[in-house]
Amino acid sequence: MLAVFKRDLKAYFTSAIGYIYLGAYIFVLNLWFYIFNALGGSSSLTSIFDFMLIVMMFITPILTMRVFSEEYKQKTDQLLFTSPAGLPSIVLGKFFSSLAVFVCLLLLTLLWPLTISAVGENNIAEVVGNYAGILAIGMAYISMGIFISSLTENQVVAAVGSLGLIVALFLLEFLPMYFFSGALPAFVIRALRFVSLYARHSNISRGLLALDDIVYFLSVCAVFLFLTARGLEKRRWA
Amino acid sequence: MIEVSGLTKSYGKSRGIDNISFSIPEGQIVGFLGPNGAGKTTTMNIITGYLSAGAGTVKIAGIDVLERPIEAKRHIGYLPEQPPLYLSMTVEEYLDFVYELKGVKSTGQQAHIAQICDMTGLSDVYRRVIGHLSKGYKQRVGLAQALVGDPDVLILDEPTVGLDPRQIVEIRNVIKEMGQSRTIILSTHILPEVSAVCERVLVIANGVIVADDKPETLAGTVSGERRLVIRVAGPKDGVGRLLNGVDGVRSAKPLGEMEPGSCDFLIESTPGVDARKPVFSALAGAGHPILMLRPQDATLEDIFLKLTEEGT
Repeated sequence: MLAVFKRDLKAYFTSAIGYIYLGAYIFVLNLWFYIFNALGGSSSLTSIFDFMLIVMMFITPILTMRVFSEEYKQKTDQLLFTSPAGLPSIVLGKFFSSLAVFVCLLLLTLLWPLTISAVGENNIAEVVGNYAGILAIGMAYISMGIFISSLTENQVVAAVGSLGLIVALFLLEFLPMYFFSGALPAFVIRALRFVSLYARHSNISRGLLALDDIVYFLSVCAVFLFLTARGLEKRRWA
Repeated sequence: MIEVSGLTKSYGKSRGIDNISFSIPEGQIVGFLGPNGAGKTTTMNIITGYLSAGAGTVKIAGIDVLERPIEAKRHIGYLPEQPPLYLSMTVEEYLDFVYELKGVKSTGQQAHIAQICDMTGLSDVYRRVIGHLSKGYKQRVGLAQALVGDPDVLILDEPTVGLDPRQIVEIRNVIKEMGQSRTIILSTHILPEVSAVCERVLVIANGVIVADDKPETLAGTVSGERRLVIRVAGPKDGVGRLLNGVDGVRSAKPLGEMEPGSCDFLIESTPGVDARKPVFSALAGAGHPILMLRPQDATLEDIFLKLTEEGT
């Protein structure tokens, strides 16, 4: 697992992907911070984290699109899958390397609370809660992206597919409202709302860090990593 | 060392390979011959655990690849048809990665990798980026990767493709040297390679094994009749008639005029008869000097045609 983790992490920063990902993120978010916090004179980070949740949906696929797709393309998957390292450790190694890049990003954003602490006062609970929530959501998105990437050798397809999956899951609870109004039994609607990301997003962005939301995101992460490993196993039988 | 029994794999409706069985004792170098699409790569991918079989089992050193894949894979070094290289890494980084990936237990990573680089002639390009290397060097990096961890079984899918003639000889020597202590399967469609390196040949066509023998015997059984190419000074018609009349010549096909005033023929002799002496006497008697006479050995194409014809 460590070998795959180290190689993938290095690959992010020997290719342009890591820099593009961090650069794009930091540029957009810092602009927001400048406008709303610096110029707007606000010490609350909730609005920027709210914005970050939306940006994450669109930028996480860039981070994960190459994870397996590039291996298929270069045929290096043959090396990985015929090595004595088992599938679970390969998948986890890759997951943690993507997560590490995301954590790099979070570390860079620590500049915000630091800036605010220099001129005002942070709401510690708010800052900690937002970081915990966003880390959990990030893990869920990364695992979805990795899953989609394990299905195709085309990186563009992987990126667009991951975006589609994330947005679909995000908007799931609006489905009954617009398409099957009244036609679905109540428990289906409740189930859709339970699975949908939207309500949980808004909980976290409103500053409500509930344990069940965190558990939900970690479960999504676990489910998609499991599906990835199973899917890779199944490829052998194709 | 390698036990393959009843291996079957289908792709959709077409059969990739059909009921393949063979067993290879420790320390043998086996050539895996077959035309493109015959099932060589599929078989190798199954042995290494990259693909799974529809039916049948593969055992490496007594360990079932499907049941205990991790243990079985520790015994295998695999060079796939396209070497699995990360083009943006240097040779050094790549081999270090493979070493860690395979979880090699021995001490002395540097010494182990340096030894492999020495064997495969990579020491000069050790610090260069793989993507910038020539095809021959990439192939060597692929071979080096298979050798990391000192596996007892090597599966090499067309290891000499893309190498220049000198490198081919070098790599063959490396393979022979390694074969003294290891079991090796190498696939190829180059016949001289098999006779140069292998002790045994498996010929596969249309997903089934059509021959399993020593290379010399294989070449012999196929070309039961010897074939000779001959160049004679003289008119085509006259020489042709003369040759067809010689005892021990089954047929003489004209090949055309390669040199002014001469004609070339392909002679097939009757099985078990050496036609060279009677041909010489007949032509000498008629006053047609022989400018060239050489045996034409069975080529791989002939073997395939023969073996697959027999199979159908």
